[in-house]
Amino acid sequence: MAEAQAPLAAVKVEALVVMKIIKHCNQTFPTTATGALVGMDVEGTLEITNSFPFPVVEMPTESHFDNAAPNPAASAPRVKANAAYQAEMIRMVREVNVDANNVGWYTSANMGNFVNMNVIENQFFYQKDMNERTVALVHDVSRSAQGSLSLRAFRLSAKFVEAFKDNKFNSEELQKSGLRYQDIFDELPVEIHNSHLITSFIHQLQCPKSSGPSDLPPSLSALEASPFTKSNVFSPNFDNLSLSIDPYLEKNCDLLLDSIENHNTEVNNYQYYQRVLGREQQKINNWKQKRTQENATRAALKQPLLPEDEWQRLFKLPAEPSRLESMLNTRQVDQFSRQVDAFVSATTGKMFAVKGNLLPGEVAK
Amino acid sequence: MADSFLHLARPLGPVSVGTAPTTAPLNVVIQPQAVFAILDHSLRRNADQERVIGTLLGTRSEDGGEVEVRSAFAVGHSEAEDQVEVDMEYHKQMLALHLKANPREVLVGWYATASELNTFSALIQNFYSGQGDGTWPHPAVHLTVSTEAGKDLETRAYISAPVGVTAERAADSAAFIPVPYELRYGEADKSGLEAIANAKDTEERSTSIATDVEALERAIEEVLAMIDRVSRYVESVIDEEAPASTAMGQFLLNALALAPKVEPADIEKDFNNHIQDVLVVSYLANTIRTQMELSNRLATAQLTLGGGESTGAEGQRNQRGGKGGRPRQDRAPEEARA
Repeated sequence: MAEAQAPLAAVKVEALVVMKIIKHCNQTFPTTATGALVGMDVEGTLEITNSFPFPVVEMPTESHFDNAAPNPAASAPRVKANAAYQAEMIRMVREVNVDANNVGWYTSANMGNFVNMNVIENQFFYQKDMNERTVALVHDVSRSAQGSLSLRAFRLSAKFVEAFKDNKFNSEELQKSGLRYQDIFDELPVEIHNSHLITSFIHQLQCPKSSGPSDLPPSLSALEASPFTKSNVFSPNFDNLSLSIDPYLEKNCDLLLDSIENHNTEVNNYQYYQRVLGREQQKINNWKQKRTQENATRAALKQPLLPEDEWQRLFKLPAEPSRLESMLNTRQVDQFSRQVDAFVSATTGKMFAVKGNLLPGEVAK
Repeated sequence: MADSFLHLARPLGPVSVGTAPTTAPLNVVIQPQAVFAILDHSLRRNADQERVIGTLLGTRSEDGGEVEVRSAFAVGHSEAEDQVEVDMEYHKQMLALHLKANPREVLVGWYATASELNTFSALIQNFYSGQGDGTWPHPAVHLTVSTEAGKDLETRAYISAPVGVTAERAADSAAFIPVPYELRYGEADKSGLEAIANAKDTEERSTSIATDVEALERAIEEVLAMIDRVSRYVESVIDEEAPASTAMGQFLLNALALAPKVEPADIEKDFNNHIQDVLVVSYLANTIRTQMELSNRLATAQLTLGGGESTGAEGQRNQRGGKGGRPRQDRAPEEARA
């Protein structure tokens, strides 16, 4: 890929890939599922034309962060065995004329909880080691079950990659680079694209149902058994109209609480670091003062002075904890609250509609 | 779509002593992924190829009576006047790779993208249903999906029984028996199919993913259209323009009876409670977000306080991570934005 190319602006996903991802993610739900995407890069639009799942292998985590998830599938995309698997698979599909460029990977998520170290490391691995022009597709299984498909494409921003490469996440570096949690991911718009054959297939599936019946059903049971009373997939999903919102909100609240907990841990870590740092600095200052006094006495006695910079050897300042984790956490919370917002906007609409219908007296009578 | 046929379950093939014969299954269930994969392969065939074939994978119910085709992969093959070549090595490798990732799926049969059944089909069918690498003792399912331009897609499912007078002829002959099939999609596939179907009427055959509110809007529009249709029908019955049907009336009455009967006061109360819950959650979520953002901002903003410490110019001692960077006046806008 030439460097001069325009940055990726959009992602076009084939219907086949959508279905394959949905299938794989649902099979393994609620554990995370991951897989590879193949396709083509056409002038800034990444066309994803096929996908295949990664096998789940037990492996030692080589993460340079010790909190690597216990779930092997989540880190599968960057495991060596899978790189081989992927190369092999791509070689195989090339033989049957499938676009054989690696363009990224996909993962499943539960209520948008995908902002974590694994995703970052996977995508970083892809963007750095494999091919710069790759995306991570995130399919949210729980949200899709609510009615509308949730499929999003993310890339790590150039700024973040730069920082991540050298693990520059202490306060000083963050200030210098001005990296904020909003800058971790670049989201790309996702489009679903159908081939002609699939278009015609869909039309055909729908045709027999949309033509009206010529004769009326003889009885109630016959009517209920007829295909017309069964729901048609291609019509909008009526799950959308469901008013049972409590489980969804509950889940969201749980996730938010978890995030707060994480946030607290991070804050505590940081405070601990600050206390230790303060203590150390206090010690250093005391030492320096002592040394200055000592030197003053020595100077008075005309003795050779002691070096004043010895403290650098004697005391060791604690390393500042990485702020990456709390950045990710903030990004995650951002994600959750936006999710809640979107959900609430739809729900309030629904609820007012129901109220209006159940209390017609206010409007009509 | 398919031709009508009568399907009788009966023992298949010669019953050898000792091995339990499989009684003919079969209800074939096809998941949309498999069909999409087949159609995709069909699009990617070489220009000179009439049809392409591939392997079907899926699951088999315990008694073998139902086969669920879950996925498919393409296998290269070439056909000439009098011989057919299937890349068996490729098939085996691909199968191994596939099984690695989907350990629960097994080989169930093969597909071709033309409705025609010929000698080659029989040969390939015998390979897939054979012992060793094949599906034996279960019959292999053969799925044909015609993808001829300008005609309807036609899907048919077959299993086979060996025929042939002599042993030599048996290898390349098979009696294909049509079996019923059903296209089935799970709850989870629904949202995906819906999104895909959104693109069906657009010129460029693509669509973006709808947000929750858009999806809701579409669903409501659909319901309104349905109500319109029903009320039109009812009106025309009342005007004696359309024939009345007791069954239809009963059905509509049942549907109407589903509307709950509740006191307006109760509705009002429940509604208010509920909407308050929802709004509180939304409010809290946003508060948490703001809090965290603020906390993060402050963590970096505090450093500016320490700026004086490292240079020693300003007296304010702040022990919090004083490694300094920006001048102090930067802090105010920083916090204001947070």
